[in-house]
Amino acid sequence: MRETQSVVLAGVGGQGILLASEILAKAAMAAGYDVKTNEVHGMAQRGGSVVAQVRFGAEVHSPLVARGTARVLGSLEQVEALRFWEYLAQNGLAVVNAQAVVPVTVSSGSAKYPEDVEARLRRAFSRLVYMNAAEEALKLGDIRAANTVLLGAISKGLDLPIDAWQEAIASSVKAKLVDLNIRAFELGMKFH
Amino acid sequence: MKEYLLGNAAIAKGIKDAGSGLVSGYPGTPSSEIIETLVGLGGIKHIEWSVNEKVALEVAIGASWAGTRSTATMKHVGLNVAADPFMTLAYLGVGGGLVLISADDPFCHSSQNEQDTRRYAQFAQVPLLDPADPQEAKDMVMYGFDLSEKFNVPVILRPTTRVSHARSDVNVDPTSSTSEGQASFGRNPARRVSLPVHVRPLHRELLEKQAAMEEVLASTPWNRLDLKGDHGVIASGLSALYAEEAILSLGLDLSFLKIGTFPAPSKMIAAMLRHVKKILVVEEMEPVLQEQVEMIARKVNPGVEVLGKGDYISRVGELDLLPVKEAIARMEGISPETRPTLDAEKILPPRPPSLCPGCSHRATYYAMHKAFGKNAVYPSDIGCYTMAVNMGTVDTCLCMGASITIASGIRLGGVEEPICCSLGDSTFIHSGLTGLLNAAYNNARITVTVLDNSTTAMTGHQPHPGTGLTATGEASVPVSLEDIAKALGAGFVEVVNPYDIKATIDVFKKAKEYQGLSVVISRQLCVIKALKAGVRRKPLSVNENCTGCKLCVEFGCPAIEFEGDKAKINNLCIGCGVCASICKNNALDVVK
Repeated sequence: MRETQSVVLAGVGGQGILLASEILAKAAMAAGYDVKTNEVHGMAQRGGSVVAQVRFGAEVHSPLVARGTARVLGSLEQVEALRFWEYLAQNGLAVVNAQAVVPVTVSSGSAKYPEDVEARLRRAFSRLVYMNAAEEALKLGDIRAANTVLLGAISKGLDLPIDAWQEAIASSVKAKLVDLNIRAFELGMKFH
Repeated sequence: MKEYLLGNAAIAKGIKDAGSGLVSGYPGTPSSEIIETLVGLGGIKHIEWSVNEKVALEVAIGASWAGTRSTATMKHVGLNVAADPFMTLAYLGVGGGLVLISADDPFCHSSQNEQDTRRYAQFAQVPLLDPADPQEAKDMVMYGFDLSEKFNVPVILRPTTRVSHARSDVNVDPTSSTSEGQASFGRNPARRVSLPVHVRPLHRELLEKQAAMEEVLASTPWNRLDLKGDHGVIASGLSALYAEEAILSLGLDLSFLKIGTFPAPSKMIAAMLRHVKKILVVEEMEPVLQEQVEMIARKVNPGVEVLGKGDYISRVGELDLLPVKEAIARMEGISPETRPTLDAEKILPPRPPSLCPGCSHRATYYAMHKAFGKNAVYPSDIGCYTMAVNMGTVDTCLCMGASITIASGIRLGGVEEPICCSLGDSTFIHSGLTGLLNAAYNNARITVTVLDNSTTAMTGHQPHPGTGLTATGEASVPVSLEDIAKALGAGFVEVVNPYDIKATIDVFKKAKEYQGLSVVISRQLCVIKALKAGVRRKPLSVNENCTGCKLCVEFGCPAIEFEGDKAKINNLCIGCGVCASICKNNALDVVK
């Protein structure tokens, strides 16, 4: 299994998408793969839609994921999963956190937040894990671990060994948070 | 040894390993992390955030002329500001190697245009290195110093957003080492004083170097020719990665030429053109490579069909694997894959970037609009505050510092309505000062508002002369913006705290009535900086007085929502309290 695998992680600025992509990239490196990721900085980060793209394999060329080729789409915000839907391959796995972050366009009344998101997600994605990552993280006492819970669920769609994930988590979060994040990851793995 | 590095961090490592003794720059996405990484790495004699890109390049030139390897970093539009020293530097040459890093931003992820730095390299006739990924960026920047010294010219490294902000596993073993000598300035007027009599022969010398530079660049590992079938692809920089992957995934037997340096290697291009009947040129933005390919084709194989910009490859935005794959498939007569669409896209609420909850710019603009009214003209500038375009107080944004000069022109051109322009503190220092002086000198009756959040917020909170700190965190002279404004000739200068809405409106009203050049400095630390510094204010909540009038909702703070028929404060509230002073019904309280 050395074919290039692509993952798209979506969310809203400030949700921890960049840390999640770093952990995934380091796990792929620990498993011996060539890795490329891409992310947004600057203006786009301020409360806007944020997307990180991760690709790994024997030799990765493009740092960007072509539409329709991602093996996994993970989203920390539910409508953002629909926004980046087109990146996922037709048989790909979508992992979506059941959280709504209301955009300014909605709170100011110029747009509406869709009401039937779950139904739309189920229609859009043939393989969907729809979970409340924040609630799971709260069970462990820290809502900030929601992104690691999401990664745990995502890991079911990728061929990376568990010790590579553990090594990546250990090298990406503060020492005192390593155990908590590894438990958060394991919680996420139970969803499928 | 391999490390997982951001493209800009890989560039920083290369700068350090090459022994660059001085690094200067002005922040600009996607280039800012180069200097920030270098500050963390340490070991560079001098690193600075300069006040603008022209200054940064000139400081780097000074160091170079004293024999120190030096680097100037900026975003693509920064090179416009630095173009004056840059163009003549190409004639005068360097001392220690000088690398200018100009980061391009195809698709304008965080920029006002998508100009192509490769045009500047052609214009000035200096070499340009076009990296495809973080590894190449690191290797190229190191090579750039050697090349600069070998040919006595500045060298440009031109990463794009997808290189600067890519991360990958980068080999960080130093590939060469340089010993740093004692800096000394050797007097040499014929090469350092740009008198006409000196520069005429230097222009000739620069032209004469071109062929040799191209020859040397051709032999670098970043140019690679692979002759196979009689159709081919030529691609430059990052586009070459898309093209290579596309050819592999389509399983085609195409000849391929990867280009990583400019001037592009004409002998390799000629060899390719002699071999093929049809060729596709793949590059982002301008047809720089394609024009060179077409010129060579006329000489070596006029019958070859050259495809590229216009019909096959877009000149607008950025490329990725899919459009490149589609262009190659089309050249080869392969029908494109059809892709399903999702009707849900129509119901997605837009999620544009916006000012943070509690951002003081929102408060300043609210007060400004209250005082100046809807008939006033509001030229604005480049910074986070440009995102407030929906508040009615951002009527123009052209380039750094242009708010003041555009406002002056609007007034002096004959407009009689009130005019209040605005720009951030870092932008004011970058290139607002000359405009303010010009407004005073030429009697432009306008109000200039400095949105002073005491940092360069948009690009990641870099310090500037107003903050009293240098790039490396050392204490420096904290420059007073109000003293500068007075010294430049503003007759009315007041400082306000924008969280005090009523006082701010009053000051704006006074500025509006003032019969001369007025300056309002609206000062409140950036909320992100304040939170990081440990500032904690109590959040607000809505009480039973709320009538659902939506006045606070229209203010546009992400912490204010509308639920049922009343306003609601969500957990994003940082407690600035501005909404409470806007509310007419005393319906917002600080949480006890």
